[in-house]
Amino acid sequence: MDTINRANPHPIGYVVGGGLEANLQVRLTVPPQEVQEGSFVVIDSGGWRFYGLVTDLQLGSTNPRFADEQSEERLPRHLAELLHGQTLFTNLAVMPVLMLERGPEPGAEEYRLWKNQHPEETQPVPVKTVPSHHSPVLLADAADIAQIFGEENNQEIFRIGYTREQGHPVCLNLEKFVKRSSGIFGTTGSGKSFLARMILAGLIHADRASALIFDMHNEYGPDSTSSDTGAEVPGLKGKFGAKIRLAGLGARTSFGKLNADLSLEIAQSDITSEDVLLLSQALNLNETAPIVLSALERDFGQDWLHEFLSMETGTTVEDENGKSVPAPNSVEAWAAVGNVHPKSALALHQRLQRLGKTAYLIADPATRGLEQIIEDLEHGKHVILSFGKSNTELDYLLVTNLITRKIRDHWGNSTENFHAGKGKEPRPLVVVVEEAHKLLNREMASQTIFSTIAREMRKYYVTLLIIDQRPSQIYDEVMSQLGTRISGSLGDEDDINAVLSGLPGRGALRGLLSKLQAKEEALLLGWGVPMPIPIRSRRYDNDFWKELLGAQESPKTIEEGNKVLGFDSNDTD
Amino acid sequence: MSGETKILIGKLLRADNRAFVAGCRTKELVAPALGALCKVRLEEGLEIYGLIGNIIINDDSLVRQLVSGISIPTEYTEDNRHNRNLPVEISVLCVGFGQGGKIFHRLPPRPPLSLDALYLCDDAELVRFTSAGRYGYFRHILRLDDQPVEEILTAHLANARQAHAQHGRADWYTGACQELIVLLRDDYEGLMNVLNALAELE
Repeated sequence: MDTINRANPHPIGYVVGGGLEANLQVRLTVPPQEVQEGSFVVIDSGGWRFYGLVTDLQLGSTNPRFADEQSEERLPRHLAELLHGQTLFTNLAVMPVLMLERGPEPGAEEYRLWKNQHPEETQPVPVKTVPSHHSPVLLADAADIAQIFGEENNQEIFRIGYTREQGHPVCLNLEKFVKRSSGIFGTTGSGKSFLARMILAGLIHADRASALIFDMHNEYGPDSTSSDTGAEVPGLKGKFGAKIRLAGLGARTSFGKLNADLSLEIAQSDITSEDVLLLSQALNLNETAPIVLSALERDFGQDWLHEFLSMETGTTVEDENGKSVPAPNSVEAWAAVGNVHPKSALALHQRLQRLGKTAYLIADPATRGLEQIIEDLEHGKHVILSFGKSNTELDYLLVTNLITRKIRDHWGNSTENFHAGKGKEPRPLVVVVEEAHKLLNREMASQTIFSTIAREMRKYYVTLLIIDQRPSQIYDEVMSQLGTRISGSLGDEDDINAVLSGLPGRGALRGLLSKLQAKEEALLLGWGVPMPIPIRSRRYDNDFWKELLGAQESPKTIEEGNKVLGFDSNDTD
Repeated sequence: MSGETKILIGKLLRADNRAFVAGCRTKELVAPALGALCKVRLEEGLEIYGLIGNIIINDDSLVRQLVSGISIPTEYTEDNRHNRNLPVEISVLCVGFGQGGKIFHRLPPRPPLSLDALYLCDDAELVRFTSAGRYGYFRHILRLDDQPVEEILTAHLANARQAHAQHGRADWYTGACQELIVLLRDDYEGLMNVLNALAELE
């Protein structure tokens, strides 16, 4: 093969055994420190190139006594070195993942014949055989990695990081990434949110899908400060300008120096009894709540919440007989007529007061924020919804589920119209959910729209991007549906197992995942990447933005943009 | 071939394909040494190479009587050295042969004959023999089970290393050590014996 044309043509070892089930065993011929767990290696054998991942390094000896004796103390140095070279060794465990047919030696007659039979460029396929004994093993060079992971084009082939030892660029195909739901995981401080920001920036820049980001902690839109370094962290809005729409929940959400592009107020009539039941835990509803809710919907239709919240409690009037009875506008009166237990109705009324007090849930919203968001997303804009001060778990559960359900229904209709030949193809949409375990845990998963989206994959052009630090808390059925998984360091064994659920080669990958550096390292795996690979993630800094946006970089912040245009941003309030 | 090698060290007493024994007078026992490469030249250009594996000095009844006497006069000792009828026996291990200008590290096709002359090889010939092939003749030495393999090897390697340092390949000795380690790596005791002996060469 063309090993002589490689940047580093020297093999690091040769195949001595193993198989597809158990990893390949490779005898290392260089010092073990030159290779690390997770190294991407290539093995040329018989017209095929195999691509694999080092999953373990093991010290061995031809006889245990050679390992036990410190012979370097007894023998002259060069003899000891020669002895160790032959009797003490390191074996690599290499997980073979892909193979690529390369045909006979280029230039030879056989190659010409082979090329005639295979005129098209051959593609890597999952490994189905093994390289022969003594096949040389080389560390992958940049070209090998580009062959497998694609060559960066500053569009959908997005450089997400570098191989850990040699620093060769590793790319992620964003088009494939958004075709199925994906997840970004990692403990707090593992760089998970930087990774998420970077991928979102790549997605928005590549413009293959619209993104709806539920920004619970208000960190994606506006510029912020890094909690670790204190350095300024550019937000997406400042960099992408009008491509991004900042939506605030309620009328007065603040984005620091930035203004919201739209305020999202939700009509009380949009809330269904299912939405409320979803909040059973958060609202501490009791068992009778479903009966009362169904009676309310039966009596008032979609206005049930507004009507119910307007009712009074404990008010009485005197009837014709001078007897004290519940006032007509009271919960008790409605319960009596509606054949509902008054105490249950009162309990629900009291618990639902929390909904009545939220800033965004109002009887008659002045703006049609939800429709605006849908329209923006359909027109290729990206929406970041900030929760502002309404950032309790209750708000998050209610709003994300409600909005996503509406959007999913809308996309569902558009898809059906498209299939019926009545409209254009819906724009792919990625819904970005932080703290996903709150919405996708075992109890909630069956009730929220998110597990439905994860299962549907791309049927309705809507996929999820889950960002979470406790993947073990996410329902396994949802986890196993995730196409691409990008995981930073995870401490907990359960979390590691959850990230690997449903993937082949879990045993080998578990070691890799558990030994990731606490910062800046991530493991890419799953359907969306050709093979698992640990990376040192690209840095989210000014250089990143320069490389991504190049010369067409938009003004750094809205403020600067306004200055350029001659406006003073302070006057715009 | 290499007709220059002229140091005669003995005449053949007995031989088989694997080894042969030459004899010499007691007073001639100066040049031969353990581990030295020597050869017997046969007719038809066949040369049999061997390593000296053992040198035996036999006794006889006269020596026994002398030794058991109270004191041995100097002239008796001198007489025994010069006029003794019993030869010193030099055991030689066959390690290869030369034919048609080529060296082979296999056993010779047939043994040398009685009274054939045994010559000591010089450094050039030592280099030539040891450079052929890939240390294949080591197997003949390592096969021995009744002789001190590590001593014969060390004595031979010391000679060859010096010869190579002057006339041959500088990396020959390292290659030889490596080959021994490869051949003996499944025999911990044997390998450590050899390496400990080689350590003395440093």
